[in-house]
Amino acid sequence: MSDLLPMLLRGLRETLYMTVLSTALAYIIGLPLGILLVVTGRDGIRPARVLHGFVGLIINLARSIPFLILLIAVLPVTRFIVGTTIGSTATVVPLVLGAAPFIARLVESSLNEVDRGAVEAGRAMGASSMQIILKVLLPEAKPSLLLGAAIALTTILGYSAMAGIVGGGGLGDIAIRYGYYRYQKDTMLITVAILVVVVQVFQEAGAKIAKVIDKR
Amino acid sequence: MSIIELQGLGKRYPNGLVALEGIDLTIEAGEVFGIIGKSGAGKSTLARCVNFLERPTAGEVLFEGQPLSRMSRTQIHKLRQSIGMIFQQFNLLMQRTVTENISFPMEIAGWKRADIHARAAELLALVGLEDKAKSYPKQLSGGQRQRVAIARALATHPKVLICDEATSALDPGTTRDILSLLRDINRRFGLTILVITHEMRVVETICHRVAILGGTHVAEVGNVREVFANPRTSAARELLHADGGITTDGAAITRLARLLEERGLTAEEVLERV
Repeated sequence: MSDLLPMLLRGLRETLYMTVLSTALAYIIGLPLGILLVVTGRDGIRPARVLHGFVGLIINLARSIPFLILLIAVLPVTRFIVGTTIGSTATVVPLVLGAAPFIARLVESSLNEVDRGAVEAGRAMGASSMQIILKVLLPEAKPSLLLGAAIALTTILGYSAMAGIVGGGGLGDIAIRYGYYRYQKDTMLITVAILVVVVQVFQEAGAKIAKVIDKR
Repeated sequence: MSIIELQGLGKRYPNGLVALEGIDLTIEAGEVFGIIGKSGAGKSTLARCVNFLERPTAGEVLFEGQPLSRMSRTQIHKLRQSIGMIFQQFNLLMQRTVTENISFPMEIAGWKRADIHARAAELLALVGLEDKAKSYPKQLSGGQRQRVAIARALATHPKVLICDEATSALDPGTTRDILSLLRDINRRFGLTILVITHEMRVVETICHRVAILGGTHVAEVGNVREVFANPRTSAARELLHADGGITTDGAAITRLARLLEERGLTAEEVLERV
């Protein structure tokens, strides 16, 4: 028991590290893709059917790959980028690749909620497409984007636990090694309980902040 | 001098629907010009063609003699800064305060922060919302929201204000207030106002001249009083009749009485004609 606590703390730290870093990096890819989907959509500010269809298709393809398969399939890419395929940092690569398309869809749906009238008013004032994106779409969708980020964060947290299978580190790794491979049910239960609490905290915090900043 | 000229303007949608055909209209600088028509008569499309929010598929729009179809995207953006627009649903930014909403077009135009600040204060005073500077649109009534929209539309000193069904979501009292604000702005600043509406009352209250849209084309154009007193086309008569028929408020009855007086008809004669 005495060495369980430090191990769990280390696991928690690794999990948070993987989750937060992966979410941040996945947003760097997913946010522009989501914006691109909305802008080039049929009712978007710069409709472009072919591009829209192409990006949508790529996202759907990427999203239909089961994460476990992606995890193994990108091992060579991981080795190339990180230098190793084991540990928390190595897990970030498949997490980012797995989450980015999902985030693109989350962003798309948030931006689509923005009142078309507000966009129209922006256009009528002579705003460029970039100004519409930066000054109308993103700010007006901010509460919804934040809620989406909470969903993304908790989903990635779930995926990160799966990374334990390939020795990815974190709480999931501990749950699998001790709970599943060594039949230490209590260790597994504690690990899962911690994960539940973390998810709860992320989700509730996201919802709270979104509610406070929403002036609608 | 004409400020906006529509020459043979037409709009056909990709699905084959024709919204407008052969629209010829000249709007003079400083006048309040009404465009009235039944819903579905392409009024809003016409309004949106004036600043190229929708590109017409035929004809030309001239702003101070300059053809819009030959302008680049950037030139169109620049041009739109001199054409303010207000809408039926106000279209305010819900996550911005009143002041921030009014500042929005000035930010787009790249004004300096100090200039934006000063102009926003001036506009708040103009529309009588000084005490709502830090409120969010959600906290305002419909009439107050439209005042914010008006202040926002006037921010960059436009030469024309397009009002697309701007009072259609407001109650009669608030409509009167907004219309008198618009008339006041027209008189004080000589701002040209283009009023798109389906309500005769609106045209009667503030417009100098009116064009009646029947179907996809202009049925009649002229001074408000003349057109309303002497509708020459069936589209015009239908519109005038329909509005008078539905409304039962005092204003409508007064208007009917005035029309009868102007045309020297008795109520019986009118009924016979109907």
